[in-house]
Amino acid sequence: MSYKLPDEKDLEAMIGIVGKNYATNNKAITASYLSKSVMGLESQIPDIVVRPKYVEEIRKILLYCSAEKIAVSPISAGLSGGFACPTIKPAGVMLDLGRMNRIIEVDTENRYVVVEPGVTIGELWAYMHKNYPEWAPPVPDGAPPASTVMGDAIDRGFSLYTSSVGPQGDNFMCGEIVFPNGDIVRTGSWALPFAKPFYKYGLGPDIWSFLMGSQGALGVMTKVAVKIYPHPKFKTVVVWGMSNPEDMQNLTLEIGKQEFGIAHNTVMVQGGNYPLVMARWPKDKVPHDYEFYKEMGIPQWWMNWECWAQTQEELDYVVNKINKMAEDFKKNRAKDPDGIKPQELHPKQIASRLKKPNKIAVPYAFWEAGFLFITFYTPWNECAHFAEMYCKAMEDRGFPPVMWIASIERCRQAICMPIICFDSTKQSDFEKVQEMNRETTEYALKQGWLNYRPDPYIHAPLTYSQAGMYWKYLRMMKKMFDPNQIMHPGRLALP
Amino acid sequence: MAKTGMERLKELEKEIYKCIHCKACRFAYSGEPSREGIGEYTGKQGTVLYEGMVDACPAGIEYGWEAFWNAGKIWIARSILSGDLDFSDEVRDVLMPCITCGQCSAQCDSKIPTVDIIESLRAACNEAGIPMIEKHALVDRLVKELNNPYGGKAEERFKWAKDAGLEKFVDNKDAKIGYYVGCTASYRQVEVAITTAKLFEMLGMNFTLVGDEVCCGSPFFRIGAVDTAQELMNKNLEAFKGLEMVYFSCAGCYRTITIDYPKWMPEGSKLPFKTQHAFELVTRLIQQEKIKFKPNKELKGKIVTYHDPCHTGRHFGIDFEQELIKQSKNLMFDSRKIKEKIDEWFEIPRIILRKLEEDVGIEFREMYRIKLNSMCCGAGGGVRAGYPDFSIRTASLRCDEANAVEADILTTECPFCWRNLTDANELYDHGMKVMGVLQMITEYNLLETLENPTEKDFLALSIRELEEDSKKKK
Repeated sequence: MSYKLPDEKDLEAMIGIVGKNYATNNKAITASYLSKSVMGLESQIPDIVVRPKYVEEIRKILLYCSAEKIAVSPISAGLSGGFACPTIKPAGVMLDLGRMNRIIEVDTENRYVVVEPGVTIGELWAYMHKNYPEWAPPVPDGAPPASTVMGDAIDRGFSLYTSSVGPQGDNFMCGEIVFPNGDIVRTGSWALPFAKPFYKYGLGPDIWSFLMGSQGALGVMTKVAVKIYPHPKFKTVVVWGMSNPEDMQNLTLEIGKQEFGIAHNTVMVQGGNYPLVMARWPKDKVPHDYEFYKEMGIPQWWMNWECWAQTQEELDYVVNKINKMAEDFKKNRAKDPDGIKPQELHPKQIASRLKKPNKIAVPYAFWEAGFLFITFYTPWNECAHFAEMYCKAMEDRGFPPVMWIASIERCRQAICMPIICFDSTKQSDFEKVQEMNRETTEYALKQGWLNYRPDPYIHAPLTYSQAGMYWKYLRMMKKMFDPNQIMHPGRLALP
Repeated sequence: MAKTGMERLKELEKEIYKCIHCKACRFAYSGEPSREGIGEYTGKQGTVLYEGMVDACPAGIEYGWEAFWNAGKIWIARSILSGDLDFSDEVRDVLMPCITCGQCSAQCDSKIPTVDIIESLRAACNEAGIPMIEKHALVDRLVKELNNPYGGKAEERFKWAKDAGLEKFVDNKDAKIGYYVGCTASYRQVEVAITTAKLFEMLGMNFTLVGDEVCCGSPFFRIGAVDTAQELMNKNLEAFKGLEMVYFSCAGCYRTITIDYPKWMPEGSKLPFKTQHAFELVTRLIQQEKIKFKPNKELKGKIVTYHDPCHTGRHFGIDFEQELIKQSKNLMFDSRKIKEKIDEWFEIPRIILRKLEEDVGIEFREMYRIKLNSMCCGAGGGVRAGYPDFSIRTASLRCDEANAVEADILTTECPFCWRNLTDANELYDHGMKVMGVLQMITEYNLLETLENPTEKDFLALSIRELEEDSKKKK
């Protein structure tokens, strides 16, 4: 596909829509939107950046760019932290939706909030904390507070409640989308003019689900209704340590597989290995030997169960039940029973782990100079296999084997995230990362594991090359929403 | 041979490449969305919710575009290094409105030295032949001609001392202790100079005002005119050599001479004198119970708040952190020490304010954003000179925050902050009194000496150096 390189006339057209203060081709400003880290290493300086405030402005911009065949890439407000899809080739117009930052409605009876794309998870959390302290939104753990609610929705990612209630995408009820043909579509029950956004699968086949994971390649989402959940006072974190990922996988599965009761109380279930602790510090400023971490009481592998309950009695029951199940697992089924130990946490450690949102994921760049999350979904009972494979691949290339794994929907799926800590000032490191990324993706696809947020040049082409029929229909449907294929071209290996 | 801005930028490459564009740096309390605060307040600059994370990058708030927030500038630096972007007027115009307050650095969990990066970018931009903005070019010209950026005559630098009957301290050859006054206190906020010198006199300190004192160079290090800054540095090092201790009343001068000079001096050389701010001395004397304060009817019941100057507060905090990171062999353990040292540092002015509360009867009330998360007054980084309207609006935002805690008196410990906050207080009618803490002590005659301090007290090390000193002794 070929696209028009926007010129001064196009800039004038954008200024005509949003005003002179909100559209620019200033080179310093456009360069400031680069982002080559965390979620992907590709980013291209946009030709024009536009900061719309209203849906109608977006509609006009898309109509104009579609007519002129100018590529458009929307970002919600976060760059690396949330929806991490900066402009890639062929650049074009970037829509920075950060000014669309209203929390529009909170409905505690029907348990949702409606937000615009620029609302950050920190803002929504703080707003709920102040005004509706008994309710909390499903914010991701680890994504920085400046990342956006919308970004996490589109990624269908992980959040505070995903172990209990299912994939993050399922926490989003209905949305409003502007398509490049100028149509503004509301999905789910919201498609009816007087309906609340209370039911996702509203009017027959669900358009919203089709947009999940679209990375801005189909249209611009301008509103979203997000579920909220009770925020009880009785919370704690239970941690069990293990010597290997298989024991971590199998014990966690036993608890999650119950489906009811304590499996629902364990809202967030996540774990990993000791390099998760180590690699948050500069490479030359911390010991690398496990013995040091062992002395600090850090297991080689561990799993955290963040437990929420309505009463202390209920919380005690959940904690005791997890501990009993862990003891039973250790005694009867563990691969390495001696390695299975409860980890006693200091109240400050518990408080720190319960704090949401937080910046836990940020300092991995501290290790050297840059990092990349390469995230996959696997069936839960294959996450140990994934971890072993990926840790070896990282170690073989001289990267610390940092692995984070979390449960989705009571261990139906695992979200597995190797964190590649590398020196992004070195081209050789960049190449090593991408070579590893390609090799591991090929291996993963053979196992039937899926990328969580496919990058445009490795994951998406490799994945779709093995799913030809699906790919055919994706292309056909994109053409329907985006006839001139201007939305974020290349992002999903779609034109 | 000093390094060029571009060389320094290249040295900082790894730090620049650590930025993941997470944007935490735009907020005060970036990791604390549930932090309890004082609620919503509508002031002269609009409504701010003083709870949880609060937008705190003045340039970002003012201009909005990504390039004006810190993360955008770090990615501009990366684009310059990678060759994706060249220096231009456009680049200069997004770099210069940064106040270099360091809020971004304080928020960064990867400890990126953002202020160093921005100052290096500015210097490299100058070196690339991009002209300075007009107002910066003017102050650069003035300081080259007159050794101060205000256009004051050199022979009038100590006029305030003569007028206040403190002439005997000018070029007092017997003294081992100097008082570095700085340009703002010499030519504009003479109250700061007078009250500080009088306080020293009341305490019985034998000090000297150095007749050859010139501008410390702070504005020029900040705006990237590093050749100018280094010339000034060399003049001051020559003028103050032979002294054992130099006291300051200006946060910017204190930061520049203590932190910047050693970085720009020939490799391996050290400052030839010890440095500390006057408020460190007062705090130490309070702790040693050598001084106390007298009750005062006029001040009794007044609500007093304190604005942490970036240069004495956050910049030192960040410098401690960077130094300890360099020295540490196990940062996981040492990070707690860093935190303790920073906490201790920010307590220094608060010890004075709490003593004033106890003895004088003021009510000391903190604003929401304090210490490492303090909001800048808007004056630094060449912004007051270059972008006066934006600078004053930022100061007014800070005054709003003081109004939100119903302060009668907004105190600080930097004549430059004081100037900007005073201007905003008057221009936007915030209705407070703005003054220095030491000024309050002197003007209201609050000082009561319980035991005369000795020269040893005056020459005692700053607490920022105590730990290092005890390590050496061990």
